[in-house]
Amino acid sequence: MDNTDKKDCLISCLTTRRQFLFLSGAATATIMLTGIPGLGAKEVQAVVSKYPRVKIGKLSALKQDMPVAFTYPTKDIRNILVKLGTPAGGGVGSNNDVVAFNPVCTHMGGPMETAYKAEYKILGQCPFHQSTFDLTRHGMIISGHATESLPQILLETEGDDIYAAGVIGLVFGRNSNV
Amino acid sequence: MATPYYIPEDRVPLPPPNAEVFTTACDYCIVACGYKVYRWPVGKEGGQKANENAFKKNFPVGPLGRWVSPNQHNIVIANGKPHHVIVVPDESTEAVNLTGDNSIRGGCIAQKVYNPSKPTRDRLQRPMVRVADTLMPVTWDFALDICAEISKYVLKNHSENAWACKTYSYQFIENTYAITRFALKDINTPAFAWHDSPAPGEESAGVAFAGFMTFGAGYWDRANADVLFISGTDPFETKTILWNEWIMPAIQKKKMKVIMVLPRKTAGAAYAEANGGLFLDVYPGTDAILYNAIARVIVENNGQDMDFIKNWTSNFSAPQWETESGFGRGTRNTHWQWITTWGKLAAKGYDDWKAWLLGEKEFEINKASEITGVSVEKIKKAAELLGNADGKKKVSFAYEKGNYWSNNYLNTASLGSLALLTGCGNRPGRMMGRLGGHQRGGVGGGNYPDNKSPDKFGGRRRLTMDVDRWVESGHVRLAWVVGNTWLSAMAGSQGLMDTFNKLTRQNPHQIMSLVKEEIIETLKKRVDSGGMVVVNQEIYLRDPIGAKYADIVLPAATWGEVDFTRANGERRLRLYSKFYDAPGEAKPDWWIVAKWAKKMGFEGYDWKDSNDVFEEAARFSRGRQDNNYDALVWMAKKKGVKAYELLKKFGTTGIQTPVVVVDEDYKYDRPGAEYTMPKAMKDSNDIKADGYKIIGIARLQDSEWKLPDFHFGARFVDPKILTAFNTQSGKANWLKSPWDVFSDFFDAIKPKDDELWVTNGRINEIWQSGFDDVERRPYITQRFPENFIEIHPDDAKARGIESGDMVLAYSERIPVWKDSNMGTNALDTKYSNLVKQGHIKMTKASVTAVAIVTPAVKKGVSYMYFLHPTQPANSLAPRVPDPLTNQYRYKLGVGKVKKIGESPYKNDFRAMTFARRDIV
Repeated sequence: MDNTDKKDCLISCLTTRRQFLFLSGAATATIMLTGIPGLGAKEVQAVVSKYPRVKIGKLSALKQDMPVAFTYPTKDIRNILVKLGTPAGGGVGSNNDVVAFNPVCTHMGGPMETAYKAEYKILGQCPFHQSTFDLTRHGMIISGHATESLPQILLETEGDDIYAAGVIGLVFGRNSNV
Repeated sequence: MATPYYIPEDRVPLPPPNAEVFTTACDYCIVACGYKVYRWPVGKEGGQKANENAFKKNFPVGPLGRWVSPNQHNIVIANGKPHHVIVVPDESTEAVNLTGDNSIRGGCIAQKVYNPSKPTRDRLQRPMVRVADTLMPVTWDFALDICAEISKYVLKNHSENAWACKTYSYQFIENTYAITRFALKDINTPAFAWHDSPAPGEESAGVAFAGFMTFGAGYWDRANADVLFISGTDPFETKTILWNEWIMPAIQKKKMKVIMVLPRKTAGAAYAEANGGLFLDVYPGTDAILYNAIARVIVENNGQDMDFIKNWTSNFSAPQWETESGFGRGTRNTHWQWITTWGKLAAKGYDDWKAWLLGEKEFEINKASEITGVSVEKIKKAAELLGNADGKKKVSFAYEKGNYWSNNYLNTASLGSLALLTGCGNRPGRMMGRLGGHQRGGVGGGNYPDNKSPDKFGGRRRLTMDVDRWVESGHVRLAWVVGNTWLSAMAGSQGLMDTFNKLTRQNPHQIMSLVKEEIIETLKKRVDSGGMVVVNQEIYLRDPIGAKYADIVLPAATWGEVDFTRANGERRLRLYSKFYDAPGEAKPDWWIVAKWAKKMGFEGYDWKDSNDVFEEAARFSRGRQDNNYDALVWMAKKKGVKAYELLKKFGTTGIQTPVVVVDEDYKYDRPGAEYTMPKAMKDSNDIKADGYKIIGIARLQDSEWKLPDFHFGARFVDPKILTAFNTQSGKANWLKSPWDVFSDFFDAIKPKDDELWVTNGRINEIWQSGFDDVERRPYITQRFPENFIEIHPDDAKARGIESGDMVLAYSERIPVWKDSNMGTNALDTKYSNLVKQGHIKMTKASVTAVAIVTPAVKKGVSYMYFLHPTQPANSLAPRVPDPLTNQYRYKLGVGKVKKIGESPYKNDFRAMTFARRDIV
């Protein structure tokens, strides 16, 4: 069997290649460095994991079980922010129930951005090989093949504002998040 | 235990373009995916551009691309210097894990290697002797001098029956050959058992007696059936890549229907059911009734494949000799024999079997539904899916431990007959066989001495020795335990631990000095006083066998530390390359055996490396169905190269055994032939010599394959098993599986009052290797920090149990068959007769577990992981093997379940999840 054909089929059966590249990111990671004397504001390639603090939304704007997308730590890494309605590991907000994850399966990169199951507070099954992840438990594998938990976006709040402040775990496809 | 806190890393080093590359296969489940190891010295790294890394890929990569997760990286010592290693599935492999896929187990295998700054730091590194109850490092010669002296003493004064060997059957061909050569050929003891059963023998006798080769199928066959019937296992959970790359795509693209028989709905069963298949939710131990009831509906509707039955099963219209000679595969004193003389189990042919089937009251559909717990509708639907009157449907059958570790003989015999009814067994896509557990790394270096075993059926029939019962009765004086936990892996575990404790720690003769002669004298006194000396050969100190009971501990080298070979579940042989240095003084098991054997004066143990053992063992693989590589070594010799050098050229794809010699211009083009070896090897001169070449075989028992002229006849492989059923007549046999052979036992042990079945099995995230994943892999430890018990919401509610509660599963009526298996009459070893004769004692056991309340498990049934080191579910399993086959009924644990409090995981987000696993 030709592996390439099989992979292409697996992808095309589900969505387009472009969507995939968008979801997991295919550009070289870059970050903005500012405030360094003599350097000015300049885009340089990241060599160490160092995360920016970015405002990504408002607590009051979130509806329970309605995930919203945002990019972090770079423009080409899309994540989901969701109010689970039940306390969760790493959750923020008055009920500790607001969490954010990168929704690309840490098995083989399957897209799970739209795979949130409100009834169980999980992400999955992954359309590739059926993995599921528990969003109340730091993205822990429930059943399946991933060799890492889903990368969790570290959240902080200031009043009603939600900030992303780091990534716990490596986003699929990358050797470094930034 | 490892910390349950898994802190994910957000970066992984890439291998530079000049990284060394080694081929291997995963060490865990029988599917054995092809893996590559990239190794380079610490101090440098590859870059994100394709020309800056060994993968030749630009990073980041897209979906299905060559990603490396942090769990796939580690640091090892190789050639004395620290190196990075990346261990990843091979994307270019031409079989098994076709798209570079991995399971969660194999995908994390880089964490298996020894690294002193990780949880693998406690690998055994030195031979040790227990002095004053402390294991103290000594030298190899010191430890093995003691082993050799006590062995000689036991053989001389207590006979070889008192020298027991309990060993793995799978951890590489070189080691199993050396171990069996020593224990069976040279010591010649009948007190010999594999890691997973109390006595050697057929794992699934009913299937084998019918004439099926249990590892005949290739993975191609599993993806090219119209209906695939799977009994007692979910390949999603335990043979993951067989599911991901072969079965699931066939469900999606070819609309293959999968029927799964299990007491709990796993992710694979849920998926099968949602895609036109069927989930048959059976009570533990009742499969035989289910299969016979389905068969009965098929027969009543004339849905059987009559052409196949006429042509390929014994004695349809021919004289009875077909059936009788079909069974006559050995001399009179073989384990086949009971079946021919005990007319209760053998059918004369299809008509006889059919008459029996229609006459048994338990197989009537309503009665069967009541006993098995499977609805009448589902039984009818299964019969409809399997019915094959015109023979056009391709039906395959597969099974594993849930089938044959609950009611061994009846479950396997009934499944075999059901398969025959549907025309399954000897054609592409129509294959019957095991999906397998461990990989196939067994080659026998000696024959089992049947005639020394004290166990015997009624009449002349002798049975292999039940070594657990032999220990229980106090007959073992030296026990050599190689690479298995023995106690927690056996049925009635806690009772067996108690016996070991009495024979070792409670014996008055304990080593109190480091003077070798004094140690030997002390252990001789131990042996003479009825006690037992335990030698444990392992990679970790296991509790209790090594940590509490072993007098001598010998450190073994394992996967990645020495070159080894092994075959997978479709008979695929590969070289598992060494890529780093074994810790400390750890040595391969064959090296340890050789040194010990030589000290006892045995000859022929002068192997210099693994390849020497591999080449010597080749001719002993000839009769084997799962890894016969004799012709590969023959070809290597013709080419003047080492066998390992030739096998290495087959890379991660390997070669599907049996290796067969054919004319150089012969083209093997059976379905699935493209997976038998790498494309590049098929026309290579490396596999050709003297006008001949070697080929791999896609499936055994392929009746549509017209055999070429082999030139070497049966020298390398018996041509018969390539195209016919494995019986004297070449046709399959019909076997009866009457419930009353088992019913007295079943009625005695089944749940009473508020008891539940406490059955057990594997789970996706954990292989048998709890020593790796549960204890030394924080990523897995956080998922399952302790054993769990799945319990149905109704059963939970009745007991006040919620997910996350700590519960106790306990029983005061676990039967143990404590002595003697001397049947005079045919039914002497039936359970009720054993009780009458006083051979059964009742024991107690209790284990804790964390509750997971889920409707995925059948009401009345609870489910635990089977091999947890500190919460052994097998403690609740009856230690009464199937008297016909000496196989344990592990799955038939029964007990009461009650809440004892809350576990810390109930309200902790860091470890364990209680979410459902059967979500589709």
